Amino acid sequence: MNKLFSIAILLTALVISNLSLAPFANAEEVKMVGEITKITMAGDGKAATAILKDTKTGETVTIDITDELTLDKFKDKRIVEGDEIRCKFNKQDGKNSGKTFVKTAGC
Amino acid sequence: MLVTRYVAAFLGVVLMVATSYAKEHEGKEYIQENGYKGPETCEECHPGTAKAFLETVHWKHASKVDYVDNLKAGQEYGMKNRIYTMCNGNDIVNNLKEIPPNEAGKTKFTGCNTCHPGDHAVDVGSTGPEAEQAIDCLICHSGKYDFSKRKPAKDKDGKIVMTQDRSTEAAMDIGRPAIKNCMVCHESAGGGPLIKRGFAMTKDADVHAAKGLVCVDCHTVKNHRFPTGKDPNNWANDGVYLTCAGCHNEKPHKDDDYNRHTAYIACQTCHIPRTGGAFAKDFTQWAKMDNGFYEPSTLKKEVNETTPVYAWYNLTVSNTPHFIGPKGSRSDGKSKIYPFKVYQGKAYYNKLDGQLLSMDFAPPTATGDTLAGVAAAAKTLGIKKYEPVPGWQTIYFGSNHQVAPKSKALTCANCHAINGILNFKQLGYGDKEVEKLTSPAIYFNKAFKIQQENE
Ligand code: HEC
Ligand code: HEC
Ligand code: HEC
Ligand code: HEC
Ligand code: HEC
Ligand code: HEC
Ligand code: HEC
Ligand code: HEC
Repeated sequence: MNKLFSIAILLTALVISNLSLAPFANAEEVKMVGEITKITMAGDGKAATAILKDTKTGETVTIDITDELTLDKFKDKRIVEGDEIRCKFNKQDGKNSGKTFVKTAGC
Repeated sequence: MLVTRYVAAFLGVVLMVATSYAKEHEGKEYIQENGYKGPETCEECHPGTAKAFLETVHWKHASKVDYVDNLKAGQEYGMKNRIYTMCNGNDIVNNLKEIPPNEAGKTKFTGCNTCHPGDHAVDVGSTGPEAEQAIDCLICHSGKYDFSKRKPAKDKDGKIVMTQDRSTEAAMDIGRPAIKNCMVCHESAGGGPLIKRGFAMTKDADVHAAKGLVCVDCHTVKNHRFPTGKDPNNWANDGVYLTCAGCHNEKPHKDDDYNRHTAYIACQTCHIPRTGGAFAKDFTQWAKMDNGFYEPSTLKKEVNETTPVYAWYNLTVSNTPHFIGPKGSRSDGKSKIYPFKVYQGKAYYNKLDGQLLSMDFAPPTATGDTLAGVAAAAKTLGIKKYEPVPGWQTIYFGSNHQVAPKSKALTCANCHAINGILNFKQLGYGDKEVEKLTSPAIYFNKAFKIQQENE
């Protein structure tokens, strides 16, 4: 009886810990403004990485880009190294996947 | 079905056009042999094109305007000279320049006329042979334009110019403008991507883009005159217009219940249920960015996050210092209910005459000093006496893109339920009418049928 009960608890605990590992549970959305120091396109043109230097902290962050619009902007150089970018990305498992990636502009 | 036949025919045309353009531009060999020297190269085979271009809105940033109140007869209006609070200046007061250094000693170039297909040495609205040769034909026509080559810079005499990609390589890939050729300028109107209109022209955002249509499939351009709509806040026009019904006709639905509504409800109202971008800015208070520059403080939403405001519109515009928006009413026999993005902006007014003042962005970008910006603009415009007082302006932007898939179009209960999107009372309906228009009696059977079909 007692044993069964503890197994039940163990199982519940397992289920809960599994739940908390669900994909989006620990993805964190980060916003930053930074200057692009490097753009690297994947061979097939379907992905790229951009290294940004955070204007506030000076730290560098590597962001994976997969959306078509931004990739296209890299290809025809509407966005180039040296541009200042306002971006949002999802940070998860040491990977940063870009959500929005646009040039800063006044008015 | 007439509609399907029409649409099929249309798509056929699109495809034909697409393939015929996909074949090489007939001038390619000539350009390869002789190199690209600017519009004069194109003029070899397309004589008169450059001269005619100088007469259009894209070059002049202005035109005569006949549907807006309180304008001076005979004068032209547009980005060149208008003042409103989405961007509190214009090409004249915000002529491209290098701003004074900020705290960190950094400087940059800013100016509204960066979104002009000239080279700035030859500027908005200029004329003559030199202007003809300054046109950046390739920004719209080349599929291989290197946009990093188009930027403000100082030339050897210290004059500030917009450089262009005039490479032979770019000129060898001539065709119809793709969406991105237009979006180079249109995406960032209003101070950043999708700020003003909040419309993206991507597969996810618009059914037409999803079907492969590009801007110029709808905006069918002849002699560089671009058809447009009667937007309350984009006045300059080439005298040619387009509408949704121009392609689809006024009764495009199999279901007559919808077709009946098109007599008083614009297509956009049901088919563009969302808008986005900036909904308020404060030009009296600029925010410091991490890079040491300042920008107007702006409240904004993503492309699809804003519910429009609905109003009667008879395609004429009320234009006063504190309000620029649609005129119209339920009873004038000319109005339909349209969706708008309402935007509110705070800026300085001149206490002496009540008019909105404009701002030169160079000083506040560097230091945040907004009154210095007003002073610089007043100087440029020759306004000697003014007393700046802050005030708000409400302006309406039409919502004409980002058409949702038909399954997401508004249907009966979206409007006729008690908590529907329309405020019938505000739209001019009496209590008795509102009671009827919000009674399930008028839509229950239809809505039930739609629900059953979707279950
Ligand atoms: C050696 C002659 C020649 C030169 C030079 C030339 N074109 Fe053309 N172009 C043609 C011909 C021929 C056509 C097809 C008939 C027509 O539409 O007039 C054409 C068609 C076009 C079209 C419409 C069809 C399409 O392919 O999209 C555009 C746009 C165009 N040219 C732009 C330009 C531009 C911009 C330049 C300068 C960079 C230029 N052309 C230089 C000969 C030339
Ligand atoms: C990135 C390109 C770009 C820049 C930079 C830009 N504009 Fe514009 N502007 C546009 C486009 C495109 C339109 C018309 C389309 C629209 O309204 O959606 C427009 C329209 C306008 C209009 C309405 C004109 C009319 O015909 O009624 C005004 C006023 C205006 N802009 C002011 C400014 C001011 C002031 C600045 C600089 C502080 C500025 N713009 C900078 C692209 C730009
Ligand atoms: C603001 C964008 C823009 C610029 C700048 C521009 N064009 Fe065009 N042009 C268009 C559009 C849009 C069309 C219509 C394309 C279509 O639907 O097939 C067009 C059509 C043409 C055509 C086909 C015939 C016609 O007149 O309709 C020629 C030739 C042409 N352009 C040449 C030029 C030349 C030469 C220049 C520079 C002097 C130039 N264009 C600058 C947008 C532009
Ligand atoms: C070099 C920048 C630039 C490019 C490229 C450009 N536009 Fe514009 N466009 C503007 C500006 C700025 C205005 C507003 C001018 C004003 O209102 O004073 C404008 C106005 C318009 C208008 C309303 C006025 C009119 O002439 O009817 C339409 C429609 C339009 N553009 C469509 C397009 C399309 C389609 C393309 C691509 C073929 C395009 N534009 C490319 C800058 C640009
Ligand atoms: C499905 C057809 C369609 C496509 C695609 C399309 N437009 Fe339009 N556009 C319209 C219609 C219709 C209007 C005017 C509606 C009205 O006022 O009744 C309009 C109006 C405009 C205006 C006037 C200001 C406004 O927003 O009302 C501008 C500027 C403009 N379009 C630019 C563009 C550009 C740039 C693209 C491509 C990125 C584009 N359009 C793609 C149909 C289209
Ligand atoms: C150049 C002509 C043109 C203009 C202008 C135009 N459309 Fe379309 N529209 C099309 C074509 C082509 C299709 C695709 C039809 C198909 O594939 O069945 C389409 C499809 C649609 C659909 C069906 C979408 C779906 O889910 O299948 C709707 C709704 C629609 N348009 C609404 C509008 C509205 C609203 C406007 C004005 C803002 C407009 N259209 C302007 C040509 C146009
Ligand atoms: C009162 C709301 C309403 C208005 C006004 C309205 N529509 Fe629709 N429309 C709908 C709905 C809901 C659907 C999808 C259900 C259907 O087709 O019956 C639809 C479907 C369509 C389709 C797809 C038709 C098909 O059979 O695939 C097109 C195209 C279209 N509308 C264009 C327009 C145009 C153009 C206008 C303006 C002349 C307009 N609509 C006005 C609600 C509306
Ligand atoms: C975009 C909002 C909208 C949608 C969607 C809509 N309606 Fe309406 N409807 C209105 C408005 C506004 C009126 C009042 C028109 C007038 O001024 O007479 C109206 C009027 C009516 C009337 C006439 C009421 C009377 O005075 O007798 C009926 C019936 C009706 N709608 C049924 C429907 C049905 C059924 C649907 C779905 C197929 C529908 N409506 C979808 C806005 C809408």
